[in-house]
Amino acid sequence: MTNTLSNIAYDDLVVGRRSGPYEEPVSAGLAGRLAGPIGDEQSVALAPPAVFPVLFLKALRRSMGGIPAGSVLAKQEVEIGEPLPVDGRVRIETWIGEKYVRRDRPFVVIEFDIRHPDGRLAARGSKTIMWPTGPGER
Amino acid sequence: MTRTFPSVSDRVTQDTINAYADLSGDYNPLHVDLEVAAASAFGGTIAHGPIAFQALFRSLTEGLGSDALPAGTRITVTYRAPVRPGDTVSSHVEPSSDDDAAGDDRVRFDAHCANQDDVTVIAGQVELPRDAIA
Repeated sequence: MTNTLSNIAYDDLVVGRRSGPYEEPVSAGLAGRLAGPIGDEQSVALAPPAVFPVLFLKALRRSMGGIPAGSVLAKQEVEIGEPLPVDGRVRIETWIGEKYVRRDRPFVVIEFDIRHPDGRLAARGSKTIMWPTGPGER
Repeated sequence: MTRTFPSVSDRVTQDTINAYADLSGDYNPLHVDLEVAAASAFGGTIAHGPIAFQALFRSLTEGLGSDALPAGTRITVTYRAPVRPGDTVSSHVEPSSDDDAAGDDRVRFDAHCANQDDVTVIAGQVELPRDAIA
């Protein structure tokens, strides 16, 4: 796996711009290592909920050319859809929902939508991330 | 309606964080680079945000006896404090006093995870479909 970081500036993030859909596999190995204590492989037939934040991060990586270096997660919302069998695939879209500065800290809300190949919802939600750069910073 | 969820505890180590980096591809230096993280405002590595979530997810799936959560489940959490290597994170899920806010078809629970010093690391609400917990 490529160890890639991104340095996309706050000012370069465009609210409403959509990325994807990105297709990602949901392997038994991935699902099993997220079902119990992280990294301890377990046998599961359905993807556990912890798979969704990982799928989000994989899509974020693809949309931004890497994970934003120095970013910190501040809030997370998720709505679960139809159960996802392991060894399936999903399609993920992300977009910038909102940008704002609060208490001198820049925040970016990134929305996500994860679908089964036939279009049924698997999960959707948003992550609010404290961004490493603020307005006017590079 | 009464439904209880077990408290689940996870000990988080740097190996846990590194495993999550490998699974997700998130090699943010705040998580995996000991030197960079030591020089940051955090003073050392911190766990990926979703690692703090893991005990809560496990509490819900174990309580429901299922690998996955039922369709229509909604979870909202705010991150309150970082999780660091060596921390033990424990989940707590209790019926909400504000259950009416979830509507007729959902049941709301208050949820939080705390570390070994009883510092809350995440807090929020879980709404489960009423028919899924009947």
